Amino acid sequence: MRRTELSLILGGPQGSGLETAMWILTLSLARAGYGVIADREYYSNIVGRHSYIHMRVSSARRPRSLKLPVEVLVASDAETLFTHFNDIGDGGYLIYDTSIKAKQLSDVPSVEDVTRKRIMSQLSSLGVRGDTDSLISYLASSRSVLPIPIDSVKIFRALSERFKLNAKQASRFSSSILGSALTVVMGLDPEDLEYAVRRRFGARKDLLEQNMFVAQLVGEMVKDYRGIVKLEDPSMNAERIMVVTGNETVAMGKIIGGVRFQSYYPITPAADESIMLEKYEVLDSGKGPVGPILVLQAEDEIAAIASVIGASLTGARSSTATSGPGFDLMIEGIGWAGNNETPVVITYYQRGGPSTGLPTRGGQSDLFNALFSGHGEFARVVLASGDHKEALYDAAEAFNIAEKYQVPVIHLLDKFLANSIVTETLPDFSLVKLERGMRGAEGPGYKRFDLSSTISPRLPLGAKDTVMWYTGDEHDELGHISEDPENRARMYSKRIEKLKLINMEIPSSFKLTVHGHESPDYALVGWGFVKGVAIEAIEQLSSRGLRGMYVNLRLMWPFPTEEFTRLVRGLDPDKIIAVEHSYGVSIADLIAMNTGVRVGKKISKYTGRPIYLNELTEAVQSLLSGRTERAEVSLGA
Amino acid sequence: MPDRWSFKSTVWPDWCPGCGNYGILTALIRSLEELGVDPSKTVVVSGIGCSGKTPHFVNVNGVHTLHGRAIPFAMGIKLARPELTVVVHGGDGDLLGIGAGHFVALGRRNLDIVVILHNNGVYGLTKGQASPTLPLGSKTKGIPRPNLQAAVNPLMLALAAGYTFVARGYAFEGEHLKTLIKKAVEHKGSAIIDVLQPCVTFNDILTPEYYKARIYKLESDPGWDPVVRTPEEREAKLLRAVQKALEPWDKIPIGVLYADETQSTMEERLSERLKIYPALNPSNSPISGADGGPVISVDDFAKAFSDYIVEVKKTQGRFNLKG
Repeated sequence: MRRTELSLILGGPQGSGLETAMWILTLSLARAGYGVIADREYYSNIVGRHSYIHMRVSSARRPRSLKLPVEVLVASDAETLFTHFNDIGDGGYLIYDTSIKAKQLSDVPSVEDVTRKRIMSQLSSLGVRGDTDSLISYLASSRSVLPIPIDSVKIFRALSERFKLNAKQASRFSSSILGSALTVVMGLDPEDLEYAVRRRFGARKDLLEQNMFVAQLVGEMVKDYRGIVKLEDPSMNAERIMVVTGNETVAMGKIIGGVRFQSYYPITPAADESIMLEKYEVLDSGKGPVGPILVLQAEDEIAAIASVIGASLTGARSSTATSGPGFDLMIEGIGWAGNNETPVVITYYQRGGPSTGLPTRGGQSDLFNALFSGHGEFARVVLASGDHKEALYDAAEAFNIAEKYQVPVIHLLDKFLANSIVTETLPDFSLVKLERGMRGAEGPGYKRFDLSSTISPRLPLGAKDTVMWYTGDEHDELGHISEDPENRARMYSKRIEKLKLINMEIPSSFKLTVHGHESPDYALVGWGFVKGVAIEAIEQLSSRGLRGMYVNLRLMWPFPTEEFTRLVRGLDPDKIIAVEHSYGVSIADLIAMNTGVRVGKKISKYTGRPIYLNELTEAVQSLLSGRTERAEVSLGA
Repeated sequence: MPDRWSFKSTVWPDWCPGCGNYGILTALIRSLEELGVDPSKTVVVSGIGCSGKTPHFVNVNGVHTLHGRAIPFAMGIKLARPELTVVVHGGDGDLLGIGAGHFVALGRRNLDIVVILHNNGVYGLTKGQASPTLPLGSKTKGIPRPNLQAAVNPLMLALAAGYTFVARGYAFEGEHLKTLIKKAVEHKGSAIIDVLQPCVTFNDILTPEYYKARIYKLESDPGWDPVVRTPEEREAKLLRAVQKALEPWDKIPIGVLYADETQSTMEERLSERLKIYPALNPSNSPISGADGGPVISVDDFAKAFSDYIVEVKKTQGRFNLKG
């Protein structure tokens, strides 16, 4: 059988090199021309807790969602097997490190008690004892899973001998041993692996040799299984492919978009973006240096947003990146920026809340926090990106909107997008234009908050022969405090009425995108990371005779009321399904609030894990065929 | 700017009659005049409360920010546009209560910003609650019971945090305060002036009479020299500054306690790492090309981000054009 796609999970303890294995695997597959998406799930922990890579590879497309069950489970430790045994499909493959043999679930200390109890009850309902050997034989006999053992101790020994490594140095290869095994069963050309190792480790000749030595040993060890899950040759045509996370595409988008000041306080999953900006603080344009991007690690999120506003007042394109708890601290600053018509971009990576919630897991439960945070009323724009490429363009566009309309722009993303790796084509630079809005006339007569137009022409602090004032209080045209009722009404309404202008001027094609059938039997509606899985779900359901449309909302505020209403006009509300990584599925309420359209059905997931393709198609089918209004999906460990 | 520029704005200061803020405002305006700063290149940044209104009364750029946040706003302004002279005004509650973290962080950074602390021991605009500088056990008329919390010593905190210019002034010693502000502005690095300022409405303990009986000028001692000129002098001068800052409260020194010119400023550290920073800073570096597109081309992009780009191997010759 020729496969066009493959899903796999590679698990092990946090800190054992899983992330490196994920990169090497993805780079090898990208080199060979395949499309890849890989999500990394991990605990809020540095070393030792269970972590895994969930990957989907395709020869025909760049996949944008994950699915369960997977064809291959790779277990470098016993916890991986206990946690994921149900994630392998019948007839799948289990590649495991032989060191996991004869381990009891009760002896794995990193498993939480509540998880242990849950797994134990699953095992006993299947009539399996709580040890790895029983579980492996159960999988082989009842699920037709083929176990493929890897004796990593033997490989460590050979490695140590050949390269004079000590035990600790050799143990760092534990994930790459299993990663290598994957490239063998997938029938990848060893040259692709070599390319990937070279890319990952650069000039480190020793690491290249060691990794290739490991690959060779693993290749011999599993030679009987070479190519058993080989994919068809790729049929996509890009010559250069980016292998990037969402954090990275956002940083790239900000760089293209001209960011010059970024301040942040470390928080998962946002910090990687700022780290990357600092790494690329000066670029070479061929015509000289570009930059600088000044990255300030602030003492807290409050200082981060405040310094970003300060920098913006001087005319620099300025932004911050954070997640829910940090955003909460920034709200007062965002209100000040709103009151002072100051362009700032807040990149908001959602994770599981409330409070610190699930610090390293995903969610979309912060929509209303982004839309309605802060006291008083003021114009803000909220954008949400559906995939890595959109995130790149949106990161650049967020600055344009912020500067043209002099408003805070909140760019919503989530952990799934931030931490997942995809293969993606290079950005099209002709799609990026930088618009800075209207500049005022310098000189003593300048009025920062001139009321003669909705957008007062802007000048930076330091403009020649010009002084201006800002205050968080209500103010007059010069920026001085004023409590005059007439001035108050004019200033206040001027600020809010920008939203009308923004809604008028932003093209409909940007506000939302429509995928699938134009006159559908049903519509899925969502935003953010739902996009990938929703598009693939309607494609799958299409082959089952269900004609669906997916409406991907990108401009969340001001809400594209007209465009949305036009799209779903004539659809039975019970055929409109909102999908969200949250309990409340807030997008349905936002739609109702702005359009009066009732969204009849909701699909919700709030476990902190992404929505998988298979569970979404099943949920859609069951909602369309039944009377229930709500489906909760919860797959994934 | 016109030849004769009034540094006093036309806005009416709405402080209580007799407030110490008037003395600070006058000293600030006179120091700016005498320094001959360009008003368009000068920014007064404030927090919330009575002192927060200061920018509106001065005819240079003014940014009246959030409670406690004047320092980080000022840092963003200064870092993005280092040519600007940036002066922060905040009350004791603003800078040492809600904004204490930022106060400490500025010292660590030694960024070239002047902080003028309006120190009156109370939260005036909310009717006299105890501030972080009100002594333990004080019972002012604004609070119903004696203060249960001890006072923080702003000078000690500033010295510990790394401020390289630390001074104390008094609101009604105008000439002296003006000189301190001028020195602070001329100093390269983070400067703090703790200005004792009677709140005539709510603080009936730290009154003008109280201060008049206790204040003395450091400069009256001809041997007083707070300037650190070489790294070797630093420890001894710092210790003497600490001694002055700890003097019993019945004798209150005003003047410059510490001025260290040997420490690198954040601008200098940045310039060392980012060679282009002095010439191109965030506020003046171009962001787009002639066509309004990005300053970098797609090839620059591919080169810069080569770590993220894979050249796909074309071994099969079976690529179709559907992408």
